[in-house]
Amino acid sequence: MRGPWPAVAFFAAAALAPLVVRDAFLLDGLVLILLWGTTGAAWNLAGGYAGQVSLGHAAFFGLGAYAAAILGTRWGISPWIGLLVGAALATAFGFILGFLSNRLRGPYFGLATIALSQVLLIVASRWRAFTSGSEGIPVPFRPGFWTLGIVDKRVWVYVILVLAAVLYVVQLYLERSRRGYQLAAVREDEDAALSLGVPARRLKVAAIAVSAALTAVCGTLWTQYVGFVDPLYVFSVDLSVRFCLFAILGGIGTPLGPFVGAALITILETSLRARFGGIGAGLVGIYLIIYGTALIVTMRVAPQGLLPWVGALLRRRPDPRPTG
Amino acid sequence: MHAIPQLLASTLLLGGIYALIAVGLTLIFGVMRVVNFAHGEFLMLGMYLAFWSFTLLGLDPYVTLVLGLPVIFGGGWLSYRLVMQPVIHASHNVQIFTTVGLSIALQAIALVLWSADAQFVRTSYYAVVVRFGGVAMNLAQIAAFVVAVLFTTGLFAFMRWSYAGKIMRATAQDRHAASLMGIDTGRVFALTWAVGITCVGAAGVLLAPIYPVYPSIGLQFVLIAYVAVVLGGLGDMVGAVIASLVVAFVEVVGSYQIGTAWKEVLYLLLFIAILVIRPAGLFGQRGAEVIGT
Repeated sequence: MRGPWPAVAFFAAAALAPLVVRDAFLLDGLVLILLWGTTGAAWNLAGGYAGQVSLGHAAFFGLGAYAAAILGTRWGISPWIGLLVGAALATAFGFILGFLSNRLRGPYFGLATIALSQVLLIVASRWRAFTSGSEGIPVPFRPGFWTLGIVDKRVWVYVILVLAAVLYVVQLYLERSRRGYQLAAVREDEDAALSLGVPARRLKVAAIAVSAALTAVCGTLWTQYVGFVDPLYVFSVDLSVRFCLFAILGGIGTPLGPFVGAALITILETSLRARFGGIGAGLVGIYLIIYGTALIVTMRVAPQGLLPWVGALLRRRPDPRPTG
Repeated sequence: MHAIPQLLASTLLLGGIYALIAVGLTLIFGVMRVVNFAHGEFLMLGMYLAFWSFTLLGLDPYVTLVLGLPVIFGGGWLSYRLVMQPVIHASHNVQIFTTVGLSIALQAIALVLWSADAQFVRTSYYAVVVRFGGVAMNLAQIAAFVVAVLFTTGLFAFMRWSYAGKIMRATAQDRHAASLMGIDTGRVFALTWAVGITCVGAAGVLLAPIYPVYPSIGLQFVLIAYVAVVLGGLGDMVGAVIASLVVAFVEVVGSYQIGTAWKEVLYLLLFIAILVIRPAGLFGQRGAEVIGT
């Protein structure tokens, strides 16, 4: 599965689908796949390429969501400005996390990221005067592109697709560029990289900050798309874990992996919701059982994720082309 | 300051339970080098065990504790064999996400089987308050504290004097040297995991008469346990007990001074501060956090 062709096929299919598909349910699924894939890719910048496995990326997603929602509802400011403010805030928090990552490794870093997201969760759900507390904020629908009040889901597909493509290119850059190689060196052996003169700390902090900012952008767009911010959701550990899972199931540290992971999980989730949603809402939990079990099995069978695993399986077959 | 004895008593009661949760977590980390992100789910399962024994069989939670210990231990052993064993020599990330997967699956199983509603174990004595020299304490909390202290002491004695405890400590110090000495480290890991799960499961049974149970209850307790375990130094059992008392003190005094709504922020900020200032914990070996082991 090396080479850009699977990715080109994926993005082309996503771009062409709205021209053919009219069904709102399917288009909604496509928007969600692209959006979750993008958050997974943003997580991948820090967790996959820089090796800084964060379990608190919902913090950044929530910052983006809240920045746009609060600016929009209180002062009627466009969500596009909110998007930038959210990204700036997330970058600041990303620097804090980056600072921590220079002091902490392994499980310590993961625990620190959970703590950071929980602090923001508590602030968002308890600071009622500013954030409306745990009731959340409904985002009023104001028609127009500038206010992101878009009814047509096909437009949403293209808005998110642009962001998804940006994330793919950023990841590709980390895959191919000199900086990307340096970052990989830091991930594999930080001390060895430092001794070769790689600016390990600066690279790690930069990767985390960029990852944070882009996660916040996803948070803003998600909120504007769904029309509601719920602090217990946008800052939850569950959401943070989801971001990791998109990348990990699809293929950690690969540019297309997060999108594949997001597609698999979103399809599984929406189809089970559609099947069980009416009669037994509790049965939605079945999807979570599958998802948890799938994670355990993937970690055992294909710890690098499904995409590299499938690639390896395909390569094992005799290749008809001459090798050389 | 008439409130001081009350605050100290509440700290002690709360800290005792936190210690039992934290000790299991730190034991698993110390010996296996695995941060168990499913720890809270085993607490939740312990609470449900108490709830269903009470509802279906009419068993008092303290009877369930005694009868249920082999069940919890067996469940822990089984979860090790099924889930953890295949990844025990894998990288940190693989282990972290395996326990995360376990956590998601266990929580979802509870959700499907028993719904998201909060359930209560209404014992006849749940509202009994004991007054002692101006200090009021809930009877169930006192009982939970006493049992938790006995349990933790038993665990320390087990680690200190039993042969199994000694080989667990040997494996924690150097797993390669331990296997060269003829220790079957695979079985040590299984035993460690099962013992750690038994501690947290027992804590769950003890908490059932005090707190409502629902599938996601584990998170709030396990977050506290993470704080305590890092504060005490990951893998350090004595440190975990002392740190549990510190965290309980911060929580109790914080609730008293600034209200219960913000108490979590206090210990989370304490946690982040510890990570920034002295990540190895109060008693841990300096530098452990940089090696990442």
